[in-house]
Amino acid sequence: MTQTFVPTGSMETQESTQKAPRSEAAKSTLPQPGRPVPSRAYPGALIVVEGTDGSGKSTQLYLLKRWLEIGGYRLHFTEWNSSPLVKSATRRGKQRRLLTPTTFSLLHAADFADRCERQIMPLLQGDYLVLADRYVYTAFARDAARGCPPRWLRNLYRFAPIPDITFYFRAPLDVAVNRILSGRPKLKYYEAGMDLGLTYDRAESFRLFQARILEEYDKMVDSDNFVVLDGTLPVNKLQKQMRDIVASKIDLKRFAPRQTDSE
Amino acid sequence: MPDQEKDRAATLAASATDPTAAPVSGSQAKAPAATEEENAQHFFGEPLVGFDPSEITGSLIVIEGMDGSGRSTQIALLQEWLESEGFAVQTSGLRRSNLVGQDIDQLLAKNAVTRLTLSLMYATDFFDQVEHRVLPALRAGTVVLADRFIFTLIARGVVRGINRDYISGLYAMALRPHLTFWLNVRPETAFGREFKKAQAISYWEAGRDMSLSHDLYWSFIRYQTMIKREFEVMAKRHGFIELDGEASVSTVNKQLRQRIGEQLGIRSTKYSPSAALAHLWR
Repeated sequence: MTQTFVPTGSMETQESTQKAPRSEAAKSTLPQPGRPVPSRAYPGALIVVEGTDGSGKSTQLYLLKRWLEIGGYRLHFTEWNSSPLVKSATRRGKQRRLLTPTTFSLLHAADFADRCERQIMPLLQGDYLVLADRYVYTAFARDAARGCPPRWLRNLYRFAPIPDITFYFRAPLDVAVNRILSGRPKLKYYEAGMDLGLTYDRAESFRLFQARILEEYDKMVDSDNFVVLDGTLPVNKLQKQMRDIVASKIDLKRFAPRQTDSE
Repeated sequence: MPDQEKDRAATLAASATDPTAAPVSGSQAKAPAATEEENAQHFFGEPLVGFDPSEITGSLIVIEGMDGSGRSTQIALLQEWLESEGFAVQTSGLRRSNLVGQDIDQLLAKNAVTRLTLSLMYATDFFDQVEHRVLPALRAGTVVLADRFIFTLIARGVVRGINRDYISGLYAMALRPHLTFWLNVRPETAFGREFKKAQAISYWEAGRDMSLSHDLYWSFIRYQTMIKREFEVMAKRHGFIELDGEASVSTVNKQLRQRIGEQLGIRSTKYSPSAALAHLWR
């Protein structure tokens, strides 16, 4: 079950991941920065959804969350790029178009680090189910599509705990892109990848950018143990698949309401 | 300049100081040799996205040293001297980026931030300045005087328990300076100087987030000693030019001018400050 971030490349890191004594790692509330956290170093469980914009991942994670909430399970939901500490900087950077591929990447890493150190890790230690809408793989795909060196990116997020399940919602480029374009009056500058200077046409830039991201995601399927789901399936069918996989891979009873035990 | 720089680049590359290089030597070998070499000359590890090293015509000169080592004084004097010699000068320093400079100030004031987030915000601040201030200046043949550089940021992270390889890896895309000076002072001296400036010692200067001591003086001394040890390690690794920061301002300044003069081809390095800066000359 222990997984590692393979392309980080460092043998040392991989060894230490596998050998890390559980008890020692479990004592600390925080991940040791710069060391991947073995997925069994804490009692909680981490479920992640990834995929391009328009792949249906957020809808599916929302439905999974509702299912678990209604069942009374202890859970926490966290979203990419949502840390209040880093928000104003990101907003300013985007509005004034100050962000380069490097600073875009670093700012999102700061956002993630804040959520990781203050929410994700403490909750995993505290025996919670943590659901993440986008995770480090978003950065790996998107920032690599912007030209950041993959080695550098893997190092940047080395402190991230490895998910118990990573769902990858895969939808063909046209399907995903059309879902976004039909529902949104105007694409934002960075969202459309305009900073890459591919073309002046925002919709076309978005398509080219998403194609690159899709390619980066596909590269990670094996190395990062993605569970690939077909994003074109009907919503309820897809949700059934997702729930079945969660139930089979995670001992959900452990997250059930505590009062049930005492009855 | 070029010879010394090449030598240093070569030794740095050989000693595999750059954190990301060692484990992935396989993939490195595949890359064309010329590019790797060129990159190693200009960056610590990885090339910066969308940047061509051959465009650099200016010089990057870094002054490092703890709080109270005299960095800012020396930089003010050097800027005046270089401008009087006809060189265009740009400065950079920590928390001065348009992107996140203010945000870091706020985070520090609120003290709600964790060490990793803070490190990454500093890294963002650093690269924003590199890309928007330092590189454009270096392309235009300007001398960039950097008041601190990645070394302070690495030292601060490492003493707070962040993995050394990890934090050095963040700065793999940092430009390699042409000269790096280290103004080395004893923490006790630095304490006196810092206290005199503000009649107080700040929370972060004293490393109070690290719970080293409730006594402010000892907290400062212990924290700065830890930082200093990190600097000693890096000084060897990265070929710092170490200067005695305990010496008088004019003595230190003379040494700096001589070394920078060599770098820039300034023959006579005589200088005395203008009336505006005379108060610094003691």
